[in-house]
Amino acid sequence: MNNSIGLSDILLISPLIVLFLFSLIPLTGKVLNNNKEQNPASSLIVALIGLCVAGGLLVVFGGSDQTAFNGQLLFDGLTQWAGLIALLAAAGGLIMMYENTSTQGKQFSELIFLTMNSILGMLILVSAVNLITLFIGLELMSLSLYLMIAMSNEQKISKEAAIKYFVLGSFASAIFLYGVSFVFGSANTVNIVDLMANAATLVKTNKIFLFGMSFITIGFCFKVSIAPFHAWTPDVYQGAPTPITSYMATAVKTVSFAAFLRVMATQTLNGSQNLFDVLQWLAVITMTVGNVAAIMQTNFKRTLAYSSISHSGYLLVGLITAGISQNSSYSAASVLFYLLTYSVMTMGAFAVLSMMEKSENHFLTNEDFSGFAKNQPLLAFCLTVFLLSLAGLPPLLGFFGKLYLFSAAVNEGLMWLALWGVINSVISVFYYLRPIVMMYMKDGNADIAEHPQQATTVLVVVAAIFILIAGLFSGPLFTLFEKSLG
Amino acid sequence: MILSTLIFLPIVFALILTAWPQKSTIRQLALGFSLLQFAVSILMLKDFDSGFAGLQFVEKFSWIERFGISYFVGIDGISVMLVMLTTFLMPIMILASWKSIDEKIKGFHIALFVLQSAMLGSFLAVDAILFYVFWEMSLVPMYFIVGVWGGARKIYATVKFFIYTMAGSVLMLLAIIFMMRLTPEVTGGNISASLLDFYKLKIPFVAGEFFTAQTLLFFAFALAFAIKVPLFPLHTWLPDAHVEAPTPGSVVLAGVMLKMGTYCYLRWVLPLFPEASAHYAWLFIALGVIGIIYGALVAMIQPDVKKLVAYSSVSHMGYIIIGIFVMNSFGVSGALYQMLNHGISTGALFLLIGMIYERTHSREISKYGGLAKAMPWYTIAFVIVTMSSIAVPMTNGFIGEFLILLGSYKYNPWIACVSVSGVVLGAAYMLWMVKKVFFGPAGEIVSHAAVDKEHALHDLSAREIAVLVPMLVLIFWMGLFPNHFMDYSKKSIDHLIANQQNYSLELRAEVKMGDK
Repeated sequence: MNNSIGLSDILLISPLIVLFLFSLIPLTGKVLNNNKEQNPASSLIVALIGLCVAGGLLVVFGGSDQTAFNGQLLFDGLTQWAGLIALLAAAGGLIMMYENTSTQGKQFSELIFLTMNSILGMLILVSAVNLITLFIGLELMSLSLYLMIAMSNEQKISKEAAIKYFVLGSFASAIFLYGVSFVFGSANTVNIVDLMANAATLVKTNKIFLFGMSFITIGFCFKVSIAPFHAWTPDVYQGAPTPITSYMATAVKTVSFAAFLRVMATQTLNGSQNLFDVLQWLAVITMTVGNVAAIMQTNFKRTLAYSSISHSGYLLVGLITAGISQNSSYSAASVLFYLLTYSVMTMGAFAVLSMMEKSENHFLTNEDFSGFAKNQPLLAFCLTVFLLSLAGLPPLLGFFGKLYLFSAAVNEGLMWLALWGVINSVISVFYYLRPIVMMYMKDGNADIAEHPQQATTVLVVVAAIFILIAGLFSGPLFTLFEKSLG
Repeated sequence: MILSTLIFLPIVFALILTAWPQKSTIRQLALGFSLLQFAVSILMLKDFDSGFAGLQFVEKFSWIERFGISYFVGIDGISVMLVMLTTFLMPIMILASWKSIDEKIKGFHIALFVLQSAMLGSFLAVDAILFYVFWEMSLVPMYFIVGVWGGARKIYATVKFFIYTMAGSVLMLLAIIFMMRLTPEVTGGNISASLLDFYKLKIPFVAGEFFTAQTLLFFAFALAFAIKVPLFPLHTWLPDAHVEAPTPGSVVLAGVMLKMGTYCYLRWVLPLFPEASAHYAWLFIALGVIGIIYGALVAMIQPDVKKLVAYSSVSHMGYIIIGIFVMNSFGVSGALYQMLNHGISTGALFLLIGMIYERTHSREISKYGGLAKAMPWYTIAFVIVTMSSIAVPMTNGFIGEFLILLGSYKYNPWIACVSVSGVVLGAAYMLWMVKKVFFGPAGEIVSHAAVDKEHALHDLSAREIAVLVPMLVLIFWMGLFPNHFMDYSKKSIDHLIANQQNYSLELRAEVKMGDK
């Protein structure tokens, strides 16, 4: 085995290096200036430049199907696209953090450091082919997040959310690691590529291996909030500062699903009917629980949290499809496409919410949207676009995401999952319409917070335009995804 | 390009209106745009070849190649008149809302134009996914029209409308996806969402067994359209939406949106699932008959004029469903004609109700009485429209209902016997209403207005006459010279009836010169 580190390894992981270096700049500046917070605008720009450079390097070196460090990290289409979506979500999250009341202020450079290191963890997570490396990525991402949630200016709920997330998250990580140990014990390898060769037969013959794979699946189910492992989601999403909630709901979900997809690609599902059945039921339960619970919420942020649970359910349908499919690049592309659409529209919705928070203790209920359209016609229109897209109305991007996802499911004969999916999108309409009703059809004086928020406005408008237009050109985009995953 | 122009011109108008800085000229601008749009549709009609049964002015571009989804539009005899109806009603609605919509004028007209584009798109699309996009797109502007400019219970009504309609259509989406998966059989390996490829599919049908492909697909489509029509017992959203909608909203709902449902039975359900639709025709005919009688009976006891007309819609739409499902040329051409009639006569009724509501802010029948003396011209218009609605000979309603009854008599005399009672009931509730509102002793409102000079009842204004005259002219024109309208659709309907089992449509991109 050649243990030296070559230039190609360095080039492949250059996005990760760049992220780390850029994450240090605002923090170093702060330390060198007697621990005084530097101009947040310049910190933000440095961070965004870092994300852009990392994204550029990922585009240039990422999708070449090469491995770094003796096959520990794989840079293929999945790494590239999931990484890019996560970087995009991180950029959106940072812009929101810059202007949100709960995250503005004296600890902004620390927040940037943590955000960029969590995204570094995410890139490791999506590129890892070794389950141990994957675990390291997962933990780097999660640890940064626990801190980010706790650093909110809000004093009570955010701390509670951070502890809750930390305790339950650690528990899930432990289960994941426990599963990895079983897999290693039974298959003598923790490399996903090696597992691909014999996972389908091993899972049939070896109970220990099945046990291990089930535990790994549970670990992922926790991270992507699949019911019944979703209980932390509403509380943490509500307690965390809105920009960080947005970041969790988009970037974390994207990369966790991408890694989940990689594990699923081992064809384990084709070997185990039981695991296959259980996952199908989990998908159905998740969609239903998320949507029905969302209907009962009055707090808008909590509604979005449950909505994100239900979207995990839709995504799990796609994941199962990819797991049993022989031509998985098509199903995997539909999952990736859905992740992109979901991330953009969720980020947009959270961004509008973030702008409306007048103080760090301000929790918006549905009533707080009354009359928003009168005061902020542009933002109200954008939020309408995001919500209708989340509900899956054509010609918005969300519809095409669902179309591709459910066509893939129907293609694999999972008609009943697709049926549950579309029934659930009708249920979801009910609560997505509620803020729209409030904004346009009730009188009131809802408005955004008074401090200047141009950057978030730009973010919202760009996201809305993307949702409006990209649906019409979704064909080439999907083909691009499919090709790069093939 | 003419069809794309028709579909996307309203979107362009909506964008121009969005950017238009002057608030005071929005109405004039919108009216001008809608007239321009109507002119474009007339141009299309001028070149339309009624001797050709297939699709004309066809445009096809690949849209999402991976799934065989294309931008594919075309027009034939079945859709041409509905397209004309849509463009015709638009200027009338804008003119009718001149006074009644006085806040958020810009938003209202934008919603109307987006709605028009979506409706035209659903009539013209020949690709399943393209059709679905337009079909669902029409929900959003309608949702806002009812929800923002509607009456007291507008939110309840609009959310109910949205969820009912969407619940029906998602199953259709699933059915479309399923059928796309079957298309490689007939296209030689490529997946396709084109309706023409769907027509070629031979989907297995087993009579009497519910869980077979064709039956399930049939019901998935039929349910979506039945909710839109609306067919008894799925009609409950309609009275709510109608009553709460502002006048133009009611007009477009009754005039065009309900027709999207019935039109789609002709375009999609009958040719795609010939065996299933023949096997289950009894169900739809029975529901249609129940709808006719139920709608009429419920209309009879309504205290609110608008609600009465809304339930009369349920009754009228029952006829159209019967006409479609008896599947002979009388029935289908009668149904198609009745779609236009209902659009015009019910649309005109809603306009008239809107006019009186603007004056008195009341729709309660019991408060009126003796209106004929106070507003003679209004009364004349109302009575003419009532005659059309209850199918008096020489008006358009007669032709449609007569053909449908003829068709259903051919299919099964009993159906004709039962459904003809709807004509009698329809005459009863409409004439009673007219009697109570316009004749007899002066009621609360009229006597109050006679004393109170400030709230005196004015007869029709010039603008209102301009709104009503085109409708009244059409009522007689369509009643006296039905061939002027039916000739456009005759070939296509005959083609549908004759080839329902192996339906296919020829395509023609443009009309060749000297062809007509």
